[in-house]
Amino acid sequence: MTSLLDIQNLRKQFGGLTAVNDVSFSIAEGETVALLGPNGSGKTTVLNMISGALAPTSGVIALSGEHIAGLAPNRIAHKGVARTFQLVRILPSLSVAENVIAALAFRPNHLWGRAAEERAEELLAEVGLGGRGGEHANDLTYIDQKRMELARALAAEPRLLLLDEWLSGLNPTELRTGIDLITALGQRGMTVLLVEHIMEAVRALCSRTVVMNVGTKIADGPTADVLADPAVISAYLGEGHA
Amino acid sequence: MTRTILGLMLAILGLAALAWMPTQLGAYGVGLLLGMTGYVALASAWALFSGPTRYVSLATVAFFGIGAYTVAVLSETLPYWAVLLVAAVIGLAVALIVGLATLRLAGVYFVIFTFGLAELIRQLVTWYEVNVTGTLGRYIFLPITAEQIYWQLLAVAAGTIAIGWLISRSRLGLALKVIGDDETVAGHTGINIAGVKLALFAVSATIITLVGAIQAPRWTYVEPAIVFNPTISFLTLIMALLGGANRLWGPALGAIPLFLLFEWLSANFPNHYSIILGLLFIAIVFVVPRGVLAGIEDGWARLKRRGEAA
Repeated sequence: MTSLLDIQNLRKQFGGLTAVNDVSFSIAEGETVALLGPNGSGKTTVLNMISGALAPTSGVIALSGEHIAGLAPNRIAHKGVARTFQLVRILPSLSVAENVIAALAFRPNHLWGRAAEERAEELLAEVGLGGRGGEHANDLTYIDQKRMELARALAAEPRLLLLDEWLSGLNPTELRTGIDLITALGQRGMTVLLVEHIMEAVRALCSRTVVMNVGTKIADGPTADVLADPAVISAYLGEGHA
Repeated sequence: MTRTILGLMLAILGLAALAWMPTQLGAYGVGLLLGMTGYVALASAWALFSGPTRYVSLATVAFFGIGAYTVAVLSETLPYWAVLLVAAVIGLAVALIVGLATLRLAGVYFVIFTFGLAELIRQLVTWYEVNVTGTLGRYIFLPITAEQIYWQLLAVAAGTIAIGWLISRSRLGLALKVIGDDETVAGHTGINIAGVKLALFAVSATIITLVGAIQAPRWTYVEPAIVFNPTISFLTLIMALLGGANRLWGPALGAIPLFLLFEWLSANFPNHYSIILGLLFIAIVFVVPRGVLAGIEDGWARLKRRGEAA
């Protein structure tokens, strides 16, 4: 397998605080990988550096060998990275369909007009929001906003999809639906990096897991092995529980 | 589609009626119409950029003055149409330079910068005139009647509203809405935020420069204090806000009553004019922060909902 995403010695410093310290890992084409770690371990910061929301202090981020570290988010988006946000970010003044068209209209092979409307409807149907494009984004329930956000990310036709706690805050039924959605994406060959706290989801979705603690990588391997690793358990539960 | 054609026909009819109006009015009436149309153009152009981006620009008079001064300097050496063209090009160039340098400033910093920019350009022109050309004022002797100025302004105002309409239906319009809602999302969906803002700022500033250039012959005598008067920036802003900077017809609807009010105030209360202007400014921002049109739409929606509930 060739690697789609390559991260080497990634580092992010906020003043005197090192949020991400010398992190390296890679993701192969078609893989679904989990990025775990306690709160404040730097997972979202890593995601933000990949998507361009933050510029790394140093280190390499390469997408199919092409360096993208420090580029503006729109340029990274055009190279094939799409994401959802930890706190769902909808475009409140737009309709559900327009939220998706927002991504269709500005991807490299952009769609506009009737073609964009039709594609948006297909994507919405794919995430379970078929026929609801005319509704106001603000009127959607939380899970539906998350679905819409996923449809928007997929609209960009990404090579790499970043999901930041996309499954958190869902009730058990919704979680089941959410896991099925991501599984379907993986089966279609989508490469996914997800930051997640819900172990059930991580076990179900990810063959591989990377764990961070206080800004450094402490484990990287098959999910079952990593979750049984004493270092990982102690990072989550504190010293003495391992 | 038929609605669009109907609207277009109505707009053309309205435009024809407006173009015909000077023949029915005396000199004072034409002057009033001219000033009003100038502000409709200014407020609409201002809102093209400031409405969707929510960047409050006080640079209106910087560009307006550049336009007027270009005419004052070049009117005797170049044909009139060429002077207008040169003015527009200068406005565009300044807008691109200023935009590239400042559009990363956010909120109040941008407001202050644009206010300072207008003052800076005025001081530069004053310095140049005093130290290099040795005069402060310039005369503009162009054989252009008030009616002709009015027709040109009418064309610019109509063009500005047409541009606003076209933008709202284009990808640029969607990009603006997305940026207005959430810049982070905008960037991550592939929108070049800086590029969009710069394009809009440039279009808006070029139109404002043209308005200044077209109105210049009206003054006959031009000096920096007249054409770089910051009140022009404030009036433009308050007019656009009153009508609603995010509505196509909002700035025009705000400009007409306020222009008439200011005319009346400056004739009847010349000494208290600024105080009343300031109070009005505060009142508008407090009472109708999103403009009268948005207020009416909200009220209408509330009424409808109540009707449905009953």
